[in-house]
Amino acid sequence: MMTRLPASGSFGLRRRTWRLLARYVGALALTVIFLFPVYWLFMISFKTPEEIFHSPPVWYPAQLQFSNYAVLFKDGDVVTVWNSLFVAGCSTLIAMFLGTLCAYSLARFRTGGEHLAIWIISQRMIPPIAVVFPLFLLYVWLGWVDTYHGLILLYTAFNLPYVIWMMRGYIEDIPIDLEQSALVDGCTRWQVLLKVVFPMVRTGLFATAVFTFVFAWNDFIFALVMTRSNVTTYPVQVTHYFGGQSNFWAKIAAMSVLGTVPIFIAVAALQKYLVRGISLGAVKG
Amino acid sequence: MSATATAPSPSFARRLSEFSDRRFKYLMIAPAIFIILLIGLFPLIYTLAVSVQNITMLEEDTSYHGLIHYGALFKDLRLWQAIGHTLLITAIALPAELLLGLLMALLFLERLPGRQIFVALLVLPTMIAPVVAGATWRLLFDNRYGPINQILGWFAGEPVPIVWTINPDFVYLGILLAEVWQWTPFMFLLLLAALSNVDQSLTEAAEIDGANGLTIFLRIMLPAIWPVMAIALLIRGLDLVRLFDVVWALTGGGPGTMTETISIYTYVQGFRQFETSYTAAIAFLVIVLLSVVVIAALRRMEITR
Amino acid sequence: MARLKVTGLHKFYGKFHAVRGVDLDIPEGEFTVLVGPSGCGKSTLLRTIAGLEEINEGSIEIDGETVNDMRPRDRNVAMVFQNYALYPYMTVFDNIAFGLRVRKTARPEIERSVTQAAEMLGITALLRRYPRELSGGQRQRVAIGRAIVRDARLFLFDEPLSNLDAQLRDEMRSEIKRLHQELGKTMIYVTHDQIEAMTLADRIVLLKDGVIEQQGAPLELFEHPATRFVAGFLGSPAMNFIPAVLAGGDGGGLALRFEDGRNLALPEGRCHPLAGHSGKPVVLGLRPEHMGLDRGGSVRPGLARLEVVIDLVQPTGSRVYGTFRLGGQAVVAELAVHDVERPGERLALLFDMNRAVVIDPETDRVLQDAIGVDVR
Repeated sequence: MMTRLPASGSFGLRRRTWRLLARYVGALALTVIFLFPVYWLFMISFKTPEEIFHSPPVWYPAQLQFSNYAVLFKDGDVVTVWNSLFVAGCSTLIAMFLGTLCAYSLARFRTGGEHLAIWIISQRMIPPIAVVFPLFLLYVWLGWVDTYHGLILLYTAFNLPYVIWMMRGYIEDIPIDLEQSALVDGCTRWQVLLKVVFPMVRTGLFATAVFTFVFAWNDFIFALVMTRSNVTTYPVQVTHYFGGQSNFWAKIAAMSVLGTVPIFIAVAALQKYLVRGISLGAVKG
Repeated sequence: MSATATAPSPSFARRLSEFSDRRFKYLMIAPAIFIILLIGLFPLIYTLAVSVQNITMLEEDTSYHGLIHYGALFKDLRLWQAIGHTLLITAIALPAELLLGLLMALLFLERLPGRQIFVALLVLPTMIAPVVAGATWRLLFDNRYGPINQILGWFAGEPVPIVWTINPDFVYLGILLAEVWQWTPFMFLLLLAALSNVDQSLTEAAEIDGANGLTIFLRIMLPAIWPVMAIALLIRGLDLVRLFDVVWALTGGGPGTMTETISIYTYVQGFRQFETSYTAAIAFLVIVLLSVVVIAALRRMEITR
Repeated sequence: MARLKVTGLHKFYGKFHAVRGVDLDIPEGEFTVLVGPSGCGKSTLLRTIAGLEEINEGSIEIDGETVNDMRPRDRNVAMVFQNYALYPYMTVFDNIAFGLRVRKTARPEIERSVTQAAEMLGITALLRRYPRELSGGQRQRVAIGRAIVRDARLFLFDEPLSNLDAQLRDEMRSEIKRLHQELGKTMIYVTHDQIEAMTLADRIVLLKDGVIEQQGAPLELFEHPATRFVAGFLGSPAMNFIPAVLAGGDGGGLALRFEDGRNLALPEGRCHPLAGHSGKPVVLGLRPEHMGLDRGGSVRPGLARLEVVIDLVQPTGSRVYGTFRLGGQAVVAELAVHDVERPGERLALLFDMNRAVVIDPETDRVLQDAIGVDVR
């Protein structure tokens, strides 16, 4: 149930309708302001070069051009989107699996106590820049720079704390009775995990997986440092289009859109878990 | 577990299952902790080691050089400037995002038709890759082809040719705009959820006691959402201190080194100048400082939970 | 102290008609209890009086002043919530003082009023503590303290004792009664517990599905219920309801004939007014305490005798409740401690038909009240 703010006017119906209208206008204005940059980005990806480099700027192209996207496909740049998908996807799967196991141990057995839990989540907050440098040196020594497995391992490791932290919360939320009942019925610990726990937290699993994926998908700095030409991901590719002389605006926009649309779809599907996911579980939205 | 005088001692089967329970729980955390340690602990040690050597682009001197790099840190003007830039951005962006987020949350707190849709749309900026956000604003800010100058021109009545990404007077404003634009929705979402969860009977009791809207907000609702605000401030604060993507895409740290953040400076030192050991020193210092802050903050929050 | 008048109140939640045309006229200083099953609209009614909910139709007057459009804070009412609603980040003192501070009362005045209220409720030692450090009963006292310190003209209680355990509830009930005696304010109290209603109220307003079934003094409702619902709601254990047919008894009077053929004769004084109903189905309402063991000796007029087999025995220590079957129903009788020991015993019971209530099964209204007083 939503908390109501106390009405600051009388109970008059008329007064309240005015308030509602004003708030609606405000909401619309905010939406326009916040979505305008996104709109602009999308529009550039559909413009012809003349329309892009037109002063004063063109707000809506005469026709929606898909040629910019075609160029990306033709030049093969679109492989970077595939790279992002592959790397983010694999690292998410691994992180979800290992992380949920770990989370179960923390939730039900209190393994390592609060100290372990706090240490784990603090790993999430380490600045990437501090970590990426020595890791780069290590990767050079291992020969893992610009490899798929190198980047996947990195993303997995960086996302594990988040997965563990969130899944611990979700597991703690389900009553332990069901698991205890299954144990009494004769299940082994592994069976309890697979048959009782996983189904009950599957929406939490899904939500956490999507957020983990988004974090990996949007990452820039690790990709920047650890990849060269083999495993370029789409955010890095976008920055390649910023040249010294001129910027390939169309490509910047098109590539960005390609990389952004999947996220928008995922978020739309994830409405309910949005708050919990981005607040690290602090708020059970 | 002490057995009473009359109870039978635990059977072998029972002891076996307890043992395997214990094994189970450690087995489950093993792979995850191993990987985290690999990426978490290793850099720490390795960085420390490298930072007391003297590896640069030219030399590969791995002998022990003591703490000379750490000493150099203090005298490095550019580093201190970078720290200053970062703190400046943090000090302005954080309160701005909090305040705007709070106002937006209050707007949406009461029933509103289609609120779900509004919220879903408003949260999109936060879900974009920060690099893409920076790129987007760079396009918006273009002095000839971008709409920002055009819109400003409408208000000013004459052409406004600000080169946002280079003009020293405007470059910080540009960064702040992009940053606040992207992350206010984050605050908004969190605060909206927290405000919605405030116990309604508290506000009703205050209403009956005679308090007006403002008093209720200040003295009842704000204290109630303080824990969430604290977490939000911690998460955003840390993100701002390690700011890289948005600034990199928008200005590249420029003009010159005017907008270099700590992260950008570290990157430049490590991957442009190849001052390996020096970079390691910076990196190590940053890790230690932030770890301390984070763990202290988390401890306090866990305690109050 | 204030007079409360509610006229033709209607409240809708979307399509749901929560309160349907309620009229109340409560004089100054009276303790009124709104009671009824879940969903009957009692809390809604209370909240509209407080101003926390708007009304769709009707009017609310406090001391002759129409308050329909007034915000809660202007109505000068005080309210005690079911979950106490104490401000968690303030001390007990600040909690109680909150209303006074908001109205910009002077500091010494606040000091005085709060300590006075605290003394009255026995919580002076807790003034510096925080709500989370207090027990349920203590928190409830603080909530009451917050209400009384403001000297409001109307006191509203929304199921304040529901969250307390049984023993504490008894204790607090007495406290509230004592408080009313001391302060003499007009109080409106919502509960689903009929014992609270009976013991606390000057007047009971019994609600069902948004409508007032009956209102009046507790004893009035108890002894002269207007409907089956009222009869069955008050009293613990509840009144027994046994379907029967009104038939001609031996000797020209009327009797209640049950489906197994047995009869209970009605006393002479009651037969005449019911003559018109002869032959029709009715429901007999009789409270467990109006049955007893036949110990021999002369039978008073109005008592009818039946032999029954007790199939369930429930001792409470001071009494025994024996259940038997009559007219296809399980019927509970209140007996003395050693009247019955084991299930299966056969007993002769006396039924006080003076106290029986005869109900029309079609309208559920009481046809004839106890002691032969014709109701409708």
